[in-house]
Amino acid sequence: MLPVPRHLDSRFESAETDDDVLVEVLYQEFGPSLLRHVRKATGNDLQWAEDVVQETILRAWRNAGRLHREPGLLWAWLLTVARRIVIDGRRKRGARPQEVEPADADAVSVPDASEQALETMIVTDALRDLSEEHREVIEHTYLRDRTISEAAEILGIPPGTVKSRLYYGIRALRRILKERGVAS
Amino acid sequence: MSPSSRGAHEDVTAYALGVLDEEDHQAFESHLMSCEECQAELRELSEVPGLLDAVRRDRSTSLTGPLDDDRTPL
Repeated sequence: MLPVPRHLDSRFESAETDDDVLVEVLYQEFGPSLLRHVRKATGNDLQWAEDVVQETILRAWRNAGRLHREPGLLWAWLLTVARRIVIDGRRKRGARPQEVEPADADAVSVPDASEQALETMIVTDALRDLSEEHREVIEHTYLRDRTISEAAEILGIPPGTVKSRLYYGIRALRRILKERGVAS
Repeated sequence: MSPSSRGAHEDVTAYALGVLDEEDHQAFESHLMSCEECQAELRELSEVPGLLDAVRRDRSTSLTGPLDDDRTPL
């Protein structure tokens, strides 16, 4: 969870905060963290990640009236929106591959490469420790950029079953990751 | 808890992962506004997708092949 400075609470929760100010505050306070998260999802493609962050903030501005002003929830909302934009983008790229290659992934320094490698190993192991049913739905939704209904069709099970397995599977995964010290 | 509200609660995971179909995504956001239980769960879940991205990153560069291979072993 993103540590949110206490001073933000009042700025977000004030009914008087106008939309433009909100966007500015969003950029200032969440922009860098959001970019860091999105870069992980874009395979460290910085240009793509910056576009995603921009689009995410734009959507926040459009939805300003119905946004959660509580910082923790706002952060969760931003992450979800960014994720959907990345998933959409990856599908489009998948449909016409090789059109835009990341300028040079190596040119962008990867901080803490060994820490990332360790994290990858722990998460991979944790997925292996899940039941087949749980692993399968995580694989066929998030890890393959598919929606619930698309995964349901491929797996030949009802969408409600995919959701239910995902619900319990992700909980089980989180429990394992907590035990192994990579989730809080 | 009614069956329909249980359904809405279960959507919190798919929502956090960003994989709900558009209609369900909109419906869940409306539900989320007034459900403190889901708000708490969403906060708890918000780091999970980022951790899963670690696996995705690894596979996209690994020798086991692209994600589109149907049976990429985990």
